[in-house]
Amino acid sequence: VTYDTVVIGMGLAGLTAALRLAQGGHRVVVLARGLGATHLGGATIDVLGYGPERVESPVASLPGFVAAHPEHPYARVPPPLVAESLEWLTAHLPAHRLVGGAGENFLLPTAVGVPKPSALVPHTIASGDLRPGGRFVFVGFRALKDFYPAYLAENLVRASRGMGIELSARSVELPLSVDGNADLSALSFARALDHPELRKELARQLEPLVEPGETVGTPALLGLADAGAVWDELQDALGRPVFEVPTLPPSVPGIRMFNAFREAIRRMGGRFIVNNTVVASESRRGRLEAVAVSAAARPVTYRARWFVLASGGFASRGLDMDWRGAVRETAFDLPVAGVPSPGQPRFLPGYFDRHPTDRVGVAVDGELRPVDSEGRPVYENLHAAGAILAGAEPWREKSGNGISVATGYRAAGAILEAG
Amino acid sequence: MASLHTEVLVIGGGSTGAGVIRDVAMRGFSGMLVDRSDLATGTTGRFHGILHSGGRYAVKDPHSAKECIEENRILRRIAADYVEDNGGLFVTTPADDPGFGDRFLTGCQAVGIPAQEIPVPEALRLEPRLNPEISRAFTVPDASIDAWKTVWGCARSAQEYGARILNYHRVIRLLVDGRAVSGAIVRNEVTGEEFPIHADFVVNAAGVWAGQIADLAGCEGVTVLPGKGIMIAMNHRLVNSVVNRCRMPTDGDILVPIRTVCVMGTTDTPVPDPDRLEVTQAEVDKMLDEGEQLVPGFREARALRVWAGARPLFQDTKVEVRSTRELSRSYALLDHRERDGVERFLTITGGKFTTFRRMAEVTVDALCAQLGEDRPCRTDEEALPDCEDGRYYWLGARLAAREAALTDDQLICECELISRRRLEEAIEQRGTANLDDVRRTVRLGMGPCQGGFCIYRAAGILHSVRQTPGEEANAALLDFLQERWKGVQPILYGDQVRQARLDDWIFQGLLDVEHLPA
Repeated sequence: VTYDTVVIGMGLAGLTAALRLAQGGHRVVVLARGLGATHLGGATIDVLGYGPERVESPVASLPGFVAAHPEHPYARVPPPLVAESLEWLTAHLPAHRLVGGAGENFLLPTAVGVPKPSALVPHTIASGDLRPGGRFVFVGFRALKDFYPAYLAENLVRASRGMGIELSARSVELPLSVDGNADLSALSFARALDHPELRKELARQLEPLVEPGETVGTPALLGLADAGAVWDELQDALGRPVFEVPTLPPSVPGIRMFNAFREAIRRMGGRFIVNNTVVASESRRGRLEAVAVSAAARPVTYRARWFVLASGGFASRGLDMDWRGAVRETAFDLPVAGVPSPGQPRFLPGYFDRHPTDRVGVAVDGELRPVDSEGRPVYENLHAAGAILAGAEPWREKSGNGISVATGYRAAGAILEAG
Repeated sequence: MASLHTEVLVIGGGSTGAGVIRDVAMRGFSGMLVDRSDLATGTTGRFHGILHSGGRYAVKDPHSAKECIEENRILRRIAADYVEDNGGLFVTTPADDPGFGDRFLTGCQAVGIPAQEIPVPEALRLEPRLNPEISRAFTVPDASIDAWKTVWGCARSAQEYGARILNYHRVIRLLVDGRAVSGAIVRNEVTGEEFPIHADFVVNAAGVWAGQIADLAGCEGVTVLPGKGIMIAMNHRLVNSVVNRCRMPTDGDILVPIRTVCVMGTTDTPVPDPDRLEVTQAEVDKMLDEGEQLVPGFREARALRVWAGARPLFQDTKVEVRSTRELSRSYALLDHRERDGVERFLTITGGKFTTFRRMAEVTVDALCAQLGEDRPCRTDEEALPDCEDGRYYWLGARLAAREAALTDDQLICECELISRRRLEEAIEQRGTANLDDVRRTVRLGMGPCQGGFCIYRAAGILHSVRQTPGEEANAALLDFLQERWKGVQPILYGDQVRQARLDDWIFQGLLDVEHLPA
């Protein structure tokens, strides 16, 4: 089988590229070692939260941010295109019902009660926007160890005040469980809440505890397959706005988003082949022609005209560091930029220090093609997207998923423009 | 201002001080122990966890070797629950002199260590990851021992006999009454309150800091040189028994399996200040090289954490060794009446964890002699708390406990199998808002993820159990995060970089803890 495009990796960057290419008429195959970071942190699409000051409008802040960080992935994607990628995603992933955009950031509470800037979020999260202030009640479950609403509420009031927002927040705890289990993950709750009986029980337990005028924050577990219905029913039952607060992995909203992508891509003829690791590649005259992946009994070769590398950073093993500190790009052995020289420190003693290794990754040209040290594309037809790109500190900037969407969209665009 | 009185004040809450307070209390004295920090946070909490058979010293220092095997037998009896009976091997790698093995066997026989040479294939069957090029192998009764459990066990036992344990109480100065020490002014490091503790007798068991305490009594020349040793904990038990290089003791020649990890150690570098122990890249590389000699592929295995401890190496720069002549070279008991003309004051320093009980015994014997009391030591007879049934700790114990409570309790730290109930109890028991203190009690955050998942949970639980302001939980969370980072930062490579990045995503990307309200 010959594909138009092989996408390596099925995190948010790979999924975005695959969806756009499939929509552009490409025969797409997604080859992945395993699930991507959507399952860990896919709840909100943060485009730029801090740079380093808190960002209110990503699209307005990006030009200055990029000028200060010329090696940043956003320096390869013009700000209007970043905004366009979010609009495109909102339109083409209707099942996930995304709200927002690059124009202005929401301020949403994290599970530890810090208001965090996010650009594009599922509708079940959006009504947690703290900017207008108000009265909030946060709901915990005794059987869920990954959410502490009293701690959240207390921090939130103080942190919001520090940002000039007046709000009140309190917490309640519900005995809701499944089969009497004392230790349930958010994912187990979400699956159970796909069943109407448990939803009714949730509403029954919660309804008497909510006061008039309150907005209700729950951990992000309101259903997996049928999140919209769970959310609607709960809002109807309470007569109050309800929103979800993302908490520790696995990320229920991230899994919903992954499922929405997979369905959309499959519907357009795209294929997913999982548990495959790139082990070899073939190239001719500066073009990549095929990749070989490890499979059950022998390597299997996939040929294509274009390739998108979205294998992630260190967390997803797109990059690997050995005990000497040497960093390798694991699929094609591409040049890696920003690696500290031998003998230089790789990490610094303070956890929040700016570590020399943080911006390590693959450097790319304006079409997101990995380049060598001279700035020339390594392969004419290989584009890279997402966390593998050099130049970002996404966890600090609150930019990770935004970079993935913008560069996945841009990589696919470059390929579609080329033919 | 409060003022306390006790018969015996012990300064230092490492293994030596904990041993002394237990011994003092069991002999019927009223006693108090103070430490500037938590118990077992100095050298004791920073070693690799070996309970020596004495084999390591059989050639170099037979006297120490004999003490080790004797104390090994005693601790196996009185501290069984703190001991893992892993056994030990001495192996001759291609880099070691095969002739040393004969001297080793002779040395062991001379002091009563049951060492036995076994065929190399048998050694490789016992330890499949061991370097297959080894030429000789010997079994010895080495074991692994949990330092924190041991120290807290001694402290609890002492409390049962009426002693008081005052951690986070720093000695500011000693009270000297004419020619005798009569107590100390201490400062509560949590509240800042300063008060005197009047005592009939003071024992300086401050280990590597003992010189600083002796100076406070005007006893000059007690020089304790800190010898820094680094240790690396690996993510798995690469070996099942303590594996030693069969050679004269030097750097990087012990690999100790303990709980779910194994610990490679160690180095010995003189440093000026025991409170400033930095781990260098060169030291890490050296440990990895030595690990590779014992277990090929060691460098590719996942390192979890690295830390440094400071051995107390005693040098008397005042008197020639007269007063310590009869004692083993491994530790030093200084009778300050004899040495400096200062009464009711003893210093015990040096030594090794394996012989802590013995060190305590000779110290309290000397104390009794000075006070003219005849009270025999019984610490070798009575089992420590939780050790009464004489059964060794085994690796599956926590999992078994977890399975028993599977449906009615939560698992807060998946790596170390810590339940919510256990964590809540520990927070209450310790009465502390410091998660690092809780860590030493229940091993919170010590597994592969180094707190990635449990730190947020622990902060939330701390907030709910203590019902104190959120700042306290925030500070605990941030301090613990930094504390964990300190130990992983020098060994970040391979899978541990992946883990660190995942933790970055959780703490910064998801929770945004860097913007917690201060």
